[in-house]
Order: sequence, then C-alpha cells, then structure tokens
Amino acid sequence: MSASAARRKPSILGASGRQNRLPSPYPWLMPVILVMGLFYLYPVIDVFRYAFTDLTLLGGEGHYTLSTFGNVLRRPELAQILWVTFVFTAGSVIGQQVIGLAIALVVVRAEKRRLFGTTILRTTALVAWVVPGIAGGIIWKMLFNEAPFGGLNSLLRLMGMAPVQWLSDPDIAMWSVVLSNIWRGTAFSMVVMYAALKAIDPTLYEAAEMDGATARQKLAFVTLPQLRPAILVNMILITIQTLNTFDAIIALSGGGPGRATEVLSLYTFNVVFRNYDLAAGSVLSILMLAISLGLALVYAAFLPKEDRS
Amino acid sequence: MKTTLFTALAAATALGCLPAIAEDLITSDRVGPSDAPNKMVFRMTGDGPSSTDPTWAAGYTKLYTDFINNHPGWQLELQMMTGDISQEQARMLEQAKAGHAPDCAAVDSFVLPLFKAAGVLKSLSPYFSKEEIAELFPFVRDGVTGKDGQIYAWWWSTDLRVLYRNTEIVPDAPETWADAKAAALASVKAGMEGMLFNGSRYEGTTFDWLGNFWGQGGKLVDEAGKPVFADAANRDKFVKAVDYYRDLVESGAAPKRVATIGNYDDFNAAATAGSTALFVGGNWQYRQLQNAMEPEEFAKWSFSMLPGITADQRSTGTGGWTVAAFSSDPKKVEMCAALTREVYMGPANALQEQLPTRADLYDKYDVFKSEANQTFAKALKVGEARPGVLVYPEISNQIQIMMGKVLTGAESTEAAVDEAFKASLDAYARL
Repeated sequence: MSASAARRKPSILGASGRQNRLPSPYPWLMPVILVMGLFYLYPVIDVFRYAFTDLTLLGGEGHYTLSTFGNVLRRPELAQILWVTFVFTAGSVIGQQVIGLAIALVVVRAEKRRLFGTTILRTTALVAWVVPGIAGGIIWKMLFNEAPFGGLNSLLRLMGMAPVQWLSDPDIAMWSVVLSNIWRGTAFSMVVMYAALKAIDPTLYEAAEMDGATARQKLAFVTLPQLRPAILVNMILITIQTLNTFDAIIALSGGGPGRATEVLSLYTFNVVFRNYDLAAGSVLSILMLAISLGLALVYAAFLPKEDRS
Repeated sequence: MKTTLFTALAAATALGCLPAIAEDLITSDRVGPSDAPNKMVFRMTGDGPSSTDPTWAAGYTKLYTDFINNHPGWQLELQMMTGDISQEQARMLEQAKAGHAPDCAAVDSFVLPLFKAAGVLKSLSPYFSKEEIAELFPFVRDGVTGKDGQIYAWWWSTDLRVLYRNTEIVPDAPETWADAKAAALASVKAGMEGMLFNGSRYEGTTFDWLGNFWGQGGKLVDEAGKPVFADAANRDKFVKAVDYYRDLVESGAAPKRVATIGNYDDFNAAATAGSTALFVGGNWQYRQLQNAMEPEEFAKWSFSMLPGITADQRSTGTGGWTVAAFSSDPKKVEMCAALTREVYMGPANALQEQLPTRADLYDKYDVFKSEANQTFAKALKVGEARPGVLVYPEISNQIQIMMGKVLTGAESTEAAVDEAFKASLDAYARL
C-alpha cells in the first residue's frame, strides 16, 4: 500500500459516519526518539560542542573557540594518517568482500551438491568474527612475532624460506594489519553474501543454462548483477566498521613502527587518551563521521532505486 | 522429644549459618564478607591476590586476609586494570573528573602529576607521620607532594632498568655503548639474536632508553615544564643516544624486531628460550627469570647498570606505583591509607622484591639484603624519575614514534628528533 493510499484510508472509514483521524504518531515514536536522542544524538551533539572548545582531559573549564578545527586539520602528520587509513580501509574492504563472496559461493555450491561439512565451514568462518578485536590482535601478534620462536616465521623456516619482517618493516606491517582485519571481518561479508546468494531466483540460472552459459558467464551475468545491492550495502557496512577499527591494531602494532599503521581511529584515540586533548579528538571524530557519511553516500548512489527506497 | 527437636533446630541453625562461615573471604573481585556494611572500591594492578605469579598471589591473599580481619565491618571491591596502563590511567582520570572514580586506586607514578593537577586526589598527609614521609627518597617525596605541601598519594615501590646478560656468552658487564655493541655482536656470533629492548609504541620504549640521554646530562624539560630535549643545549646528546640504538640495529647487534617489542615478557620468553644473551629490562624481571628458569640456567644470568656513552656517564629510569584516594568519604580515605600502610608499604615490597621507596625498609626486610637487591639499590643512586609535568605523556608518545622511524630506517635520526621536538612543543602550547 502506498503512502497516499494509507492517508486516504481514514476518510473511507469516515464514511461510516464517524469523524476518524489518523492516530498521533508520537506515542509509538517517543521511545525511539528518546533512546536515539539520549544514547546517539546527545553524544554526537556533545562531540560537535567539544570540537568548538579547547577542552582537555586535564581539568579546567575550557573556552569556546574556532581555532581547534584549524589547528587539527593543519597538523603535519594528518596527511600520513589519512593515507594509512585509506590503504587499511581499501585493503580490508576489498579483501573481506572478495573472500567473503568466494566462501559464500563455495558454501552455496557445496550445499547444492549436498557435500558434507558445509555447516562446519560456515561455523569455522564465523569463529573469527566473534573473537573480540583485542583478542584477535593478540592472536595475530603471536603469529607475526619475529622472534626465532614466532608462529608464521617458524613455519617459513620449516619450509626452508626466509623469515618475514611482518611488523618491523613499515611497508609490510601495513599489510600484516590488513591481513588480520580481513581474517576478522570476512565472516560478516560471507554471511551477507550467503543470504543474498540464497535469495537469487533459481529460474535465472535455469534460463542461463538453457542459453548455454558457462559457469564464469553465469557468475558475471547472473550472480554478480543480482548481488549488486547486497555488495553495496555490505561495502557500506564494512567500510564504516573498518574506519572505526582500532582495537585490533592497538593490540597488534600499537600504530607502529613509527606511524606506519596508525589509522585515523587509533590516532583519535591517542590524541584523547595519550595527549589528553579532548577538543582535538572531537574534531577528528567529526572528520571520521564526515568520511563515513561521504563514502556511504557514494556507495548508496550506485544502489538501484528500488533498493534505496 | 524436646531434646530431639532442640537438636534438630540447632543443626538446622548451624547449617543455615554454614554458607556464611564457609564464604570465601577473598574472591576474584572482593575481599571481606559480602554483607559487610562498609565497602571501599579499590582499582588495582596485578599486585594483589589475582597476581599471575602463584607465589605472589598466595602472599597477597594472606596479606589481604590479615588486613580485612583487622578491619571488621569492611569489604573491598576489587577492580582489575588491564595491561594498557596509559589507557587505564587516562580513563580513570576522566572518571575522577566526572566524580565516578574508585574510592582508592593504584596510580602509576609517571601520571601522578596529571591527577594532582586535576585536583581529584584526597590528601593522605593525616595518615602518615612526618618521620615516615621524611624517610621517602627525595624524588619520591617530591613526586607525591602537592603545591600545598600535602601528600596526595603513597609511592610504595620503585623500579629501575638494568642490562641483563647471560654470563656464559657475555662474561663481563658492558660499561659503555661500545662495550654493549661488541658484546651484542659477540652474542650474535654465538647464535643469539643480539641485544633486545623495547622499541615499539609503548611507554617502556621511552623510559628504558631515557637513561642513555640522562647519563650525558640531558634534560627533557626545563623548570617550567617546557620540552627542551632537542634545544641547543640538549639536541646533540639526544641525537647521540638515539643513534646508539640505531647503530645497534643497523650493525646487527640488535634484531630489527626490537621495533615491534613493547612488553617486558618478551625478554623473559627470549631469555628462557635461550635466543638472547642481552636485554634491557626492569629489576622485577630478576625474580621472574628465577621463577621461570631451571636453577642451573638462572645461575648463568646476571645484570649490571645500563651502559653509558662513557663508563662514568650512566643513568637509569626509575618508576613505580603509588596508591591514591579519590573518595570524598573520609572513612574511605582512611581505609585507603590503611590498605597502603598494612599491605603495600613494606609487606608487598618484601613479597615481590619490589624496591621500597624508603631507605629504612632496605634494612627491615632480609630480602633486600641479597646481593642482587643491594646492587639494584646502589643503581637507584644514579636513577632519574620521569619529569612530573603535564606534557610528559606526549613527549613519551613522540619519542616512541621517533624511535619507530629511526629503528626501521624510515627517517634520519635528526629529522625524526626534530619532528618529535616540534610536536612536543606544540602539545605543551596546547596544554
């Protein structure tokens, strides 16, 4: 039923002789408005307020000022932080999307063939997702440990290969952190892709088979176009999630060596909790919010209209 | 019949009381009876009944049991901190400012100035005698004393950094940086991975290294608390001290992985695994190594003062833990002071062999008469505490970032030092 039809409905009922009016939306909207306002909107408004002050965590009243924005956005390290954030986010999102889709395709295909172990495969992938970020970071730190007894390097030595400077080489450290984040986030993408794959109308595949399409053609011309809305929604979700990731990085590399793996969320955390600069941290939080919203809008622009509605 | 009824009632009463009698006096988050009318919340580190070291856990359990038996009607709610001390302390500072701090808490000595400046601590002066306060080492007494002359925490333990070595591979204690490099290279030839030290984004990276700068007479901040570590008078000393570490890595005397180390446990692991013969560690690790190694292996290990640019230009960083009160209830402040006095000021030092902050306690407890602890106590004489200024945490953060860039060869030492100095000055201006 369209919105206009819904609006007409009371007048039809009114034909019975009673002067019916639409019930007030406030009673059922108020709980949502209160919860959203109290736990989401109020903190956001407070962050905006702090951004226009010079508040620190060290006490003092603080004063309202516009200079915090300029001072933070002119910081020389910010360009590097944003670049690291871009590489980390892009690498993680692409990796999680591609591997998540690959696993989902394997699971769906295995289910069609009634192969043993599909549930085990799905569950195994989900285990990484339920591991808390800090714990995941510690697990990967043990694996990437470059000591003679470190996890991955020990395996490489067993295979006669040279050890890798997983975390001490600034260029490799970034990809080590991306790898750990892909490991953690792939399960979510797999679940989204799996649900979307199951929703594809099987007659489309039957028609493609009738036309003699190969497996690769079915993937390119049936599966991927059908998955487009799910892929875009998933990318919005995992992009925002990745932009906010700092717990796994703080446990794995602490943002180092130097600033090689210091993403915007970790930098914001450091500015507030190590530099005690609440106002600057608020400006950086607004920057993160703007980036997340901007990317979400870009992705949403590619959504088919009916999905956006 | 009456007798039977009486016996049954008595038995039932006794059984009813049994849970209360059998209730554990110490649980993972409580000390004392759960129905005690007075409760004090104590936020603590691993220095307590939940210590990961079984010997220490047992020792603390006894100390806490004795303490709570001395204070009937009280229970302590224990809140454990995580290992990320900087984050924990910053969060606690924010809670204190909002009026939600625990009643009593462990405060790391290097952030104590921040808590004092925020005005969130209660005076402990009424609970300690002038004589006890006078016995504190000067740098400790200065650290806990506020501008009004009151003491706002009790600094109960101190520590220092030393150079540990496997005497089978490095028989003589290196006295200079050149000695240390030669010894580390010799250990590499013997199949070891060289000298280990903290080099990642971690407070220990700054603190363990600072002795190399202080030993040359370098100053981090001036009298006003402004960073001066790379001004005209100090820059050369600072660059030399950074280059010492850089040279260790570039020459192969230290493995590149030092840029990823941010945990003293990594050194214990490497020493126990026999993969290193030299590392810069804390005095508390001596006991940990003793607990972790077989006696014949432990016998090979010794320690010495950190080497200096010359043998007579040596220093080391001294830190430690304090206990401070946040509660506005005088009874809880008094209880916090009592906990400090009865558990931490002496007994806990002896239990963990944590160096006391009062000269008289070295004579009181036999454990501090051991050769190792006497050597640590001597080294304290050249020890230097981190400056009690608001900008120190950011100076430390910048030194950690700088060290990462230098150790990985990502930047020249001079450029990295200048960046760190400018960022520290900017932070000082903001605070």
